[in-house]
Amino acid sequence: MNGAMNRKLLFIFGPITGVVMFAAVVIIATLLTNREYKEPYRAPAATVDTTPRTEGLTAEKADAEAKAKAKPYQEVEYRTFPVVGSRVAIWAVAQLHLLFAAFVLAVPIFAFIIEVIGYKTGDQRYDRLAYEFTKLLSTSFSLTATFGAFLTFMLIILYPKFTNYLMSVFSPTFLPYVLLFFFEAFFLYTYYYGWGKFHPLVHLGLGLGLNLVGTGIMLIANAWLTFMMSPRGVSDQGAVLSVWDAIYNYTWMPINVHRIIANVAFGGSVAAAYAAFKFLQATTDEERAHYDWMGYIGNFVAISAFLPLPFAGYWLAKEIYAFSQTLGLTMMGGAFSWLFIIQAVLIGNLFLAANYYLWLGMGRVEGMQPLQKFIKFLLVGIALCFAVWATPRSIIATVSEIRAMGGSAHPILGYLGVMSAKNTAVNILILTTFMSFLLYRRTGKIATVAWAKTGHATQLAIFAGAAIIVIFLGIYGYFVEATVRIGLSVPQVSSVLFAMVSITAIDIFLFRGASMTGEVRWGRMPAISQYVLIFIAVTFTWLMGLMGYVRSGLRQHWHVYGVIRDTSADAFTPTLGFATQVVSATVLMFFALIAFVFWITSLHDRPDYKGRERNRQVREHAGAGDVGLTEAS
Amino acid sequence: MKIPHTIRVGALVLAATSFYTYVGQMVPQKEVQPPQETVIRADLTTDDMVKVGREVMDNKGLCFTCHTIGKTEGPFRFPDLAGVDERAMTRVKGLSDIEYFAQTLYEPNAFIVPGFNPGMPTINKPPIGLTDQEILCVIAYLQTLGGKATVTLQTSHHYYTPAAAPGAAPGAAPASAQGAAPGAPPAAPAAAPGGAPTSPAAPAAGAAPVKPAAAPAGAPAPTAPTKGTR
Repeated sequence: MNGAMNRKLLFIFGPITGVVMFAAVVIIATLLTNREYKEPYRAPAATVDTTPRTEGLTAEKADAEAKAKAKPYQEVEYRTFPVVGSRVAIWAVAQLHLLFAAFVLAVPIFAFIIEVIGYKTGDQRYDRLAYEFTKLLSTSFSLTATFGAFLTFMLIILYPKFTNYLMSVFSPTFLPYVLLFFFEAFFLYTYYYGWGKFHPLVHLGLGLGLNLVGTGIMLIANAWLTFMMSPRGVSDQGAVLSVWDAIYNYTWMPINVHRIIANVAFGGSVAAAYAAFKFLQATTDEERAHYDWMGYIGNFVAISAFLPLPFAGYWLAKEIYAFSQTLGLTMMGGAFSWLFIIQAVLIGNLFLAANYYLWLGMGRVEGMQPLQKFIKFLLVGIALCFAVWATPRSIIATVSEIRAMGGSAHPILGYLGVMSAKNTAVNILILTTFMSFLLYRRTGKIATVAWAKTGHATQLAIFAGAAIIVIFLGIYGYFVEATVRIGLSVPQVSSVLFAMVSITAIDIFLFRGASMTGEVRWGRMPAISQYVLIFIAVTFTWLMGLMGYVRSGLRQHWHVYGVIRDTSADAFTPTLGFATQVVSATVLMFFALIAFVFWITSLHDRPDYKGRERNRQVREHAGAGDVGLTEAS
Repeated sequence: MKIPHTIRVGALVLAATSFYTYVGQMVPQKEVQPPQETVIRADLTTDDMVKVGREVMDNKGLCFTCHTIGKTEGPFRFPDLAGVDERAMTRVKGLSDIEYFAQTLYEPNAFIVPGFNPGMPTINKPPIGLTDQEILCVIAYLQTLGGKATVTLQTSHHYYTPAAAPGAAPGAAPASAQGAAPGAPPAAPAAAPGGAPTSPAAPAAGAAPVKPAAAPAGAPAPTAPTKGTR
């Protein structure tokens, strides 16, 4: 009864709100109109005698009008955004646009791959899972486009001169961009609404088209932003010499690769967060099993992409140094060096959370006990690497402490703050997380191939070999000159990559036809595991915000580094504390909006209104029956 | 009371972002302002130039992003500058300390100190873009690290020749770097009416203009100076 009453009230409340809002608009408009300046009443000119004073005033007015008419057009350089200022406004809008764009570009990549697996294996679960991921795209795409338009208008309004310059340099890229955007809309909506309506191969073709077009859009947009960081193809004064050189600048390709990988990691984590949220809301075992599996796949995608991400980061940093040592050193040794300590905390948390989720996941599988004993070693390894990575080179200290230490670097811990130690720590972290993946993969399985013992030994030897190489080169780096030391990161990275690829390859053959000690019980996960997935998504988002800041802030007081100087009031580089506040604000805004996306998506599975009404009535009747029975008894 | 999952998730998102914001407040907070142009008066003495040079190196020049002074233990990213003038006098055969410093600033890849990677930016070009006078001041400061400052605003070197200083003595040539590289093009014999100092060590009496007509920023060196071993 109350429910029905509430609905009636809501039904009335809607139109009333509409009328009130309309009335409010009319009142405000009336007030503003009334406040408009009105000329005071003057007697008609014909009735006024001409006096020297009035003649003077008339001449003055005519002169002012003539000057106004003759005033040449001057391009405004900057405009100010109220309260927060232009930079923060652009920063927040750009970051939100990038986060949604990253999500919209990433989800089709792994939805397509999952659909291909479903098509090849004939397992309908994969097809359903790919569709579930794709459902998140429609609203996200609209929000991406909205924020893209918002960003463009904000640039034109707040930074007109610079935007004009950028548009003049990249004018040939805009029409292809629009065209690709149109194709993106076509492919995305056909892919989503056409699920199950076409031959599977046609549908996969649509998915492929969506991914290709999306990547094309990203490549064009990346050219604009990387040009600002590492300009090429223009004269010292900014005149365009070659558009292609402007596009293919030093950091364009590394950013393209870095972004594709980071987008997949970020998209996977947000999709896993969606699954986690649905898992927590699930009421049946079947739903829990489905969303547990979806969360696992999303997280698997995120962490798989996350592992090679530092390598793409190395390449990007190398190209930044190649373009300008000053820019590179500002990043790693100057104003932004402490930012990488914050980054270390974030990445350390990501590794810890990802490993914890995998260890909890082992509980899904019967017969996990033999592998559980390794977890404590992995945890110790991760914690140690985390500590090393988060150790700064110079320590904030008082004058007397600095005197006692003999400098701003601690006599012992200071050695952990240099690149040799940090490169070693991150490589061991990657190896450890890879080991967790491997243990998870093996849970509940026993290899039955004839060469099982040799296979295990070989894997162990490769793993140990890679770890020894990484640690040895890390220590060796302390005893050689800078020229040699910089080059040591290459064999470190190569040995880790080799270990990951070769151990996985051996594992695939080793566990082919393995005997199972127990089944995977999807849905049998503690609730905390789902909160871990959400925490991972928040951390990824925050990390993207932070690294977006360093990429952009690195230019410091330049719009286009070394070519177009920022002369606005916001030309200074803010403190890291302020930057993290802005990053947090945008992350919270993103999650508020992504909650809206999740809600819209969940409407898809909601029973229609009539069905829900019928169910409600049935429940009410049943409830009344119970009450009647109770009273009768 | 059971807290709904939506509230818990919201609290988790808020707590995680708050934690990361807190971490951001824990690191050193430094607001970096765009570099200010250093005003170089025409009547700067060599001692003044040393002070200005240090200021330029601290701020606009960004020198201490990479270089250190008096650091005794590695790892070194780039050469430590303690005692650099002493080394500069003999680092490249045929180049005086002033010419060597000018070369490292205007054409940094001409000679790379053994054991280090190339990495020094061209200092008179953006993004750093020091003026010729600022560079002279930097040279003056560098000379004090292991030697004695001798540079004046009238000192010419391979990459820069001061324009005529109004009021300088007629016929007087601008001071040139001590022991300039043999074979290097002679400094332009710009007339310095009013008596520009002929000795590099002499103070800049006679007042050079604040902004002499210097070679255009970024102009290539007339000829390649003597190269050292890389």
